[in-house]
Amino acid sequence: MQKLKYSTSPHIRSPLSTRRIMIDVCIAMLPVCIMGCVLFGWNALWIIITASVSAVLAEVVYRLIARVPFKQIMQEFDFTSLVTGMLLGVNMPAFNYAQGWYVPILASMFSIIIAKMIFGGTGRNLVNPAIVGRIFAVLSFTRVMTQWVQPNLPAFSNEIIPAGATPLSQMLSQSSYTAVHSMGLSNLDLFLGTGIQGVIGETCKVALLLGGIYLVIRSVIDIRLPLVYIGMTGLVTVIINGFNFYYFLPSILSGGLFLGAIFMSTDYVTTPNTKVGNYLYFALLGILTALLRKATGMEVVSFVILFMNLLVPLIDKFIVNKPFGTQKKVNSNKEVAKQ
Amino acid sequence: MELKQFRFTKGVHPKDNKSLTSNSSIQVMPPCTDYYVALSQHIGAPAVCIVEVGDCVIAGQMVASAKGKISANIFSPVFGKIDGIVKRKNNSGIVGDYIHIKADADQSGQPFTFPPLVNPTREDIIKRVEDAGIVGLGGAGFSSAVKISPNKPVDTLIINAAECEPYLNCDNRLILEHTDQVAEGIKLLAQALGVNRVIIGIEDNKIDAYHKFTDYGFAVMLLKTRYPQGAEKVLIYSCTGRRVPNKGGLPMDVGVVVNNVATAYATWDAIANGNPLYKRVLTVSGKGIPNDENLWVLNGTLHHDIFTFCGGIQPDTVKIVSGGPMMGVALADDSGATVKAESGLLCLTAEELGDANTTNCLNCGKCAEVCPMHLMPMYIDLYTLADDTENAVKYGAMDCFECGCCAYICPAKRHLLQSIRLTKKRVREAKK
Repeated sequence: MQKLKYSTSPHIRSPLSTRRIMIDVCIAMLPVCIMGCVLFGWNALWIIITASVSAVLAEVVYRLIARVPFKQIMQEFDFTSLVTGMLLGVNMPAFNYAQGWYVPILASMFSIIIAKMIFGGTGRNLVNPAIVGRIFAVLSFTRVMTQWVQPNLPAFSNEIIPAGATPLSQMLSQSSYTAVHSMGLSNLDLFLGTGIQGVIGETCKVALLLGGIYLVIRSVIDIRLPLVYIGMTGLVTVIINGFNFYYFLPSILSGGLFLGAIFMSTDYVTTPNTKVGNYLYFALLGILTALLRKATGMEVVSFVILFMNLLVPLIDKFIVNKPFGTQKKVNSNKEVAKQ
Repeated sequence: MELKQFRFTKGVHPKDNKSLTSNSSIQVMPPCTDYYVALSQHIGAPAVCIVEVGDCVIAGQMVASAKGKISANIFSPVFGKIDGIVKRKNNSGIVGDYIHIKADADQSGQPFTFPPLVNPTREDIIKRVEDAGIVGLGGAGFSSAVKISPNKPVDTLIINAAECEPYLNCDNRLILEHTDQVAEGIKLLAQALGVNRVIIGIEDNKIDAYHKFTDYGFAVMLLKTRYPQGAEKVLIYSCTGRRVPNKGGLPMDVGVVVNNVATAYATWDAIANGNPLYKRVLTVSGKGIPNDENLWVLNGTLHHDIFTFCGGIQPDTVKIVSGGPMMGVALADDSGATVKAESGLLCLTAEELGDANTTNCLNCGKCAEVCPMHLMPMYIDLYTLADDTENAVKYGAMDCFECGCCAYICPAKRHLLQSIRLTKKRVREAKK
């Protein structure tokens, strides 16, 4: 008789695996990358490729230095670094690649090595590596990271947009979301990314939504959580601007909110472990994004996500599921008081 | 009667593979030459052997009697001769006493039966269930006589026909082929408990069995197919909305008793025919066995004989499981013998088992999302591996009923349930 496996139950395992989830995220990123390249041209393509390749290489080289056999690295490769690299790539403006080629490389290395690997690799990072990499690049290479480029597809309203700023920063600096319309951009332009300046992946909301729908269908993410984030941002913006519902669509359609809500904040590692904790986390993200946008006059999505990532251990400490059938504690003081 | 169903949203939905055996009618396993009847095949004290080596026994003759209240009588499955009292490993690998019975070539005699009961009283039913050695046939093997004489007021009997484990079809086939008998058994159990409210819980992937029951005027609850819908606490919640208290609460604390359909059938058999319990329906399935069957199997039949009857274990089998794939026990080899509460024998191939290479926890929270007891398996795993029993217990390790949903769903393939078991063991040892 042949040798049998002997182990405790359960004997069957779901087809779900870390690798499958991460491959799904990569597939969901494809429309965003493609639309980014369509809108911003060759520079965008090279930036995304450079960021992705250097992120993967950074992980492999780090593990080689840590004396992990190459064969094991290949077996355990779970595509998380590729996801980080792709996210980092689409989080950069389509600057002149010949001038700024080192930015995606350094940002990828920083995010993989500093934010992920030294904490223990996949699943152990405190904050989302792609967010850390983006913030590192914005603060270190501000000039390169603010080279906004006019997209290849013109706005349907066909007017000239003042160079050097994204529509969101214009709106925020004039502290009025209606500024976008005085600039000659409609909500449709904001939705399609036509005529909108910004980072490679954030302008085309259609592509982001497509990726999001794919992730929801593959049940990688829960559809309600990004909706809570986006909805909260819109609602709070409406409220702090004196219940002006005209602000709702421009506020959610501009800036990196969709990219942040669908891809950056839904990272498993840096979200709470309970349903209730997750709703709280995403609601707080939305509230903070709206308030800080108003207060600072800047796009703050990545900073807010970084900040909330650091709050997750606290949320997980205090919001814990109660076992099914937990008996309500009889409050002895009340009982005494009744008597 | 319209019933409000309480939606069970936790749990998982593994590929159920029920179609392998759902249409194969129950075959009778041909007699074998050797039977090993375990003295301990129920929860509680092992039964005491009352026969001597060399004695001739007839089918249905008591060979071991219950020791104490939480125990059960054990009967000879065949006409034969006691060849010896031997030490053998049971399914979990624990050594216990077995009565080795060599079967006679001629099995045509009249088996022993108790006098059949007509219009029995409540006490008669309980007495007969005890005498016939009936235990819960869903898997636990808890004495049914004790279960149907609860010491707290009970108003509802729930019949567990959910059979949520993948592969298994023994209860489903029993309902389809012996609906009258099962229905009579349910009535007897309800009478013994003195309750009027009977609810049958059945998953919606066994729609034929559901329609069979609706003809008898029982309240039948069509449950969403979702493992572990048939777990006692989950079933009680789905059918009545009552929550069994955690930290060792029992169904009778919320006025409910749950019994399996196979137990109902055995009860009917013991009362209407006077047959003691020494046979049951067992599903033999999995891609590692050529003929997937539902079989009437005598208590103490060697697993090897069953596999041989079903075409032999194929070389691509990597695991043999007694029971269902989610909660069953892996067997070290095919030398074991069946017990009363054994509902299935599965030969699983590598493809069916799925990959189980453990990687880092992703903190995805899926384990907490699917846990029917609302525990936090990822923290229990973390603290168990750090030898921190106190914190592992804090996150609910002791409330786990080991359904295995967390380990099933885990994308990092962590051995979450094993960690929980380890903590439970440490707590038990600390109490001693």
